[in-house]
This record gives sequence, structure tokens and C-alpha cells, in this order.
Amino acid sequence: MTGPAPILFANVSKTFFKHDGTPFFACRELSFEVKAREIVAIVGETGCGKSTSFNMLLGLQKPDVGDIQVLGLDPFSESDALRGQVGIIFQSDRLLPWRTTIENISFGLEVLNIPLTQRRQTAGKWLERVGLKGFEDAYPHELSGGMRQRVSIARAFAIEPKILYADEAFTALDELTAERIRKDLLELIRETAITTLFITHSVSEAVDIAQRVLVFGRPGCLICEINCEENRAAGKSTHEIEQLIRQGLRVAHKTMSAEGAGEGVATDEVVRAEGSTSKGREPI
Amino acid sequence: MASNTTSTHPSGRIKFIGELGAALRAQQPLFVGLCVIAVLWQVSTYFLPRIIAPPLQEIGVAMWQIFSDYQQFVHLLTTGLRVFVALIVSFIVGSILGIAMGTFDEVSKYAKPLLHFIQGIPALSWVVFAVIWFANVELRIGFILLIVTMPAFALYIDGAVRSVNLDFVHLGQAFRANWTQRFRMITIPAIVPEVMSAWVVNLGAGVRVAMVAELIGSTTGVGFQLLNAQALFDMAGAIAWTLSLVALLSVYLGVIRFVESRLLAWRPKGERQ
Repeated sequence: MTGPAPILFANVSKTFFKHDGTPFFACRELSFEVKAREIVAIVGETGCGKSTSFNMLLGLQKPDVGDIQVLGLDPFSESDALRGQVGIIFQSDRLLPWRTTIENISFGLEVLNIPLTQRRQTAGKWLERVGLKGFEDAYPHELSGGMRQRVSIARAFAIEPKILYADEAFTALDELTAERIRKDLLELIRETAITTLFITHSVSEAVDIAQRVLVFGRPGCLICEINCEENRAAGKSTHEIEQLIRQGLRVAHKTMSAEGAGEGVATDEVVRAEGSTSKGREPI
Repeated sequence: MASNTTSTHPSGRIKFIGELGAALRAQQPLFVGLCVIAVLWQVSTYFLPRIIAPPLQEIGVAMWQIFSDYQQFVHLLTTGLRVFVALIVSFIVGSILGIAMGTFDEVSKYAKPLLHFIQGIPALSWVVFAVIWFANVELRIGFILLIVTMPAFALYIDGAVRSVNLDFVHLGQAFRANWTQRFRMITIPAIVPEVMSAWVVNLGAGVRVAMVAELIGSTTGVGFQLLNAQALFDMAGAIAWTLSLVALLSVYLGVIRFVESRLLAWRPKGERQ
């Protein structure tokens, strides 16, 4: 793979302060990268800095220390330059209730100042692509949860982004619906060869989608990474790969418990799970 | 092709008639209530002197005169126009201030206490101040209406801007929409329900205040006509002018409800007022 990684975290730290003024480390010396056209998933328990990392990637929060680059740009200070480059699927669909399906899909295109006719055409194409033809003029409250998430997927892809972020995109859906939409999304990701960063609670979802899985521990550090493709090539089954990830999560959990709810320093413990790569506090 | 075009018109008309019928049916309790009051009133006229309870026919004649005689109708129009123009100006000023307050904490910090202070002053005091300050009648009434209704617009809009769902704001930021785009695509549609509520509240307040202002500081308008009726002990006239004002208010409310139903068509039926 040539050229700089589309997503790069280098020694990123982010601290918040509680009401009594004590610091809370959301991320500590976090380093990882996502290569072009790669599909990477981040898994970790609640409070391990996944959402903070996501917000920093979106440019909604600024890291205290370290460097974040998205397509070679700082997402916080060079936000405008990333317009139209990043598609996002949120946990809740975040469809604007006053917009019809087609208008919601057009949201990103409108931000890019695409003319009305063209954006309706593009949105219509994506609407059809996610299987919602005939629902052009429906308002979000008239759609089911699964349909709404499909609209948010279409909204993310309509701008033809170079990078896709998905933050626990299927958590709000029932298992069957989630599975169906996940399959369709994966198809879209492969079809468009888009660089994808997935955040999820579900180990099976991560293995199902990602080529590489990053296991996060508290406070916002990388415990280990599992290369699903390499493991599959080495003959490991999906179940075995999932076990590897769960092993990493157990280590992350032990570390969190030992450090007292994430207020301490990042772990130096080296994870020695077979098939995983220990990262600890070292940048990749 | 031609048959298709013509066939759409009747169905549209039928739909409109259906909607109108539904709207009228919704007002059935009001009509029933008004009928009961009318009957009770008419009964009372047999026991009370005419000066206190004039018969319905007399009130009807007085109302007919208001709507048929241009010299009288112009007073109703004048009040209506005053309220309309003042509320528009008040809405513009209140919106600018409300948006500034909702966007910048520093503006809110200083403007909010001041607006609450203004709201605490009785409308009648403003009428007295305006009579002393302004010689021009229209300016006088305009000022009173502005000072009484503008704070409510500003405070409603401030609250609405502050309560815009943060998820939607983040959506805009994540898609790298600039401030203007976020304002146009997210903030404005999100605050529409509050804006409409502010209009309903201010319309009632505006009409009442306009009445008082005209009663004290004007020689035109419904307020002035009520003063005349009082001077002549013309109860039928006083009731007729009051009812015509209520009719005017109902027309305005109808317009607001119509605009609201169009702007908030996206809301589930249960959430609509």
C-alpha cells in the first residue's frame, strides 16, 4: 500500500475533567492507522474512548496532545477541506424529521452545494440502491428503524466519500434487521472500495465486517490488534478469531479493573494472545 | 392527457372540502358553547334592562353596521393592520435578538434579564409612557405593541435555538456544513414549532394591548369605538365591537394555524396541535 494512511492517530491523548476537577483520561497516547481501502473495526467496552476517538476524527473535539490526520488533514483545524470526503453512519440514524427520505439523503449533497436536480437524481439512485424505492416522500416517522438506518447509509454514500465512519451503526436495531443491513452495507463498502472505520460493541460484527480489528482498553488505548484476513489465511475459523478478540477484551477489562475505572495511566501490559499483535502504548 | 389533467381538479377540490369539513367538525364544541351562551343571553334580556342586556337582534344589527358601513369597518381594519404590522416588526426584531441570544452566551447574559424586566412592566404603564413620549398616534401604538410582544418572541426563539437537538448539530458539523448551512438546514426548521407558539401567544397579547392603547391614546380603531360605546352607554355597540375583534383574532389565528399546518406537515399527527 503506497501513500500516507487515510486515517492516522499518533500518540493522541484527551483528558476531560469531572465536576470536582479530577482529570479523566478519555484517550491516552493512542496510536493507530487505517490504510487506504482497508476495513478496520474498533471494539472495546463502554468508556474505553471509542466515542471520544470518533468525535476527534469528526473534528468535533480537539486532542490535547498528539496528531490526528484524516487524508493528511487535521480534522479539527482543517475541517472545511474535508467537506464531502467523509461519510458517516451514526448509532442513531439522525435523520432530520422535517425532511423527506430523499431530502435526508440529499443532506450532504446540499452541503456541497450540488444543484437541486442533480442532488435529487443522485439521492434517488442511492435510495433505490438501499432498497427504499417508493419511499421518496416519506418522513422519518413513517419509516421503520431498519429503513431509517438504510436512509442514513444512503446519506453517507451519496456524497461519494473517500472514508466511511460507522459508529455502532446497528446497535439500535434488532438482530435480524441488523444482520440484513450489515450484509448490504458490506456489499456497498466492497463495491465502492471505500476506506472504512467501524466502531462496534459486537465482536461477531467486527469479525464479520473488518479485515483488521483494534481492541481498545481504558483509558482510550490500544490493547491489541487482530488481523482477521491473516488469521483466516492461516486457517483459523471465524469462531477462533472471535476468541482472540475476546481474549484481548478480557485483558482490557482486567487492566481497567486494576487501574480503577480508567482514572489511572495507560497499560504497559503486553498482550500475548496467539495471533494478535501487542500494541500497548507503542505507536504502530 | 387532457382527461388526466381535468380529473385531478375535482379530487383536489373534494379533498379540500373534506379538510374544511373536518376542521369545522373539530370546532363543534365551540359552536355548541356559543349557542348555549346566546340562548342564555336572550333569556336574560327578558328579565334585565335593555341597557345591561340588549337583545341579540340589536347586537346583530350593530355588528351588521360594522361590517357593512365602511366608515365603521375601517376602524376594525385599522386595529387589524396595526396589530399585523407591529407583530411583523416585533417578530423580526425578536428573532434577531433571540437568535443572537441562543447563539452567543454573552448576548443572552445581558439581554435576558433586561427582557424579563421589560416583561415585568404592566402594559398599561407602557401606554402611559407612550402617550407622554410620542405625539404621533401610530408611533405610539406601534411602540406599545413592540415593547409588549417583542420580549416574548426573543425569549421563545432563544429557548428554541438552545434546545436544537445536539445530534442534529453534530450531524451538520460532521458533514462539514458551515454556520450558514447549519442555520438554514437545521436551526430554522428545528425552531419553527416554538416560533409558531410564540405567534399564537403574542397575537392574543397584541390584540389586547392594541385595544388598551387605542382606548387611551387614539381616535381610531376598535379601542376608540369601545370608548365611544362606553360614553354613550351603548351596550349593543360595545358587544358588537368586541365580537368583531374576536372575529378578527380568529381570522388571524386561522392564518397562523394554516401556516403552521403547512410548515409542520412533517410531524406525526398526534404531535400536531
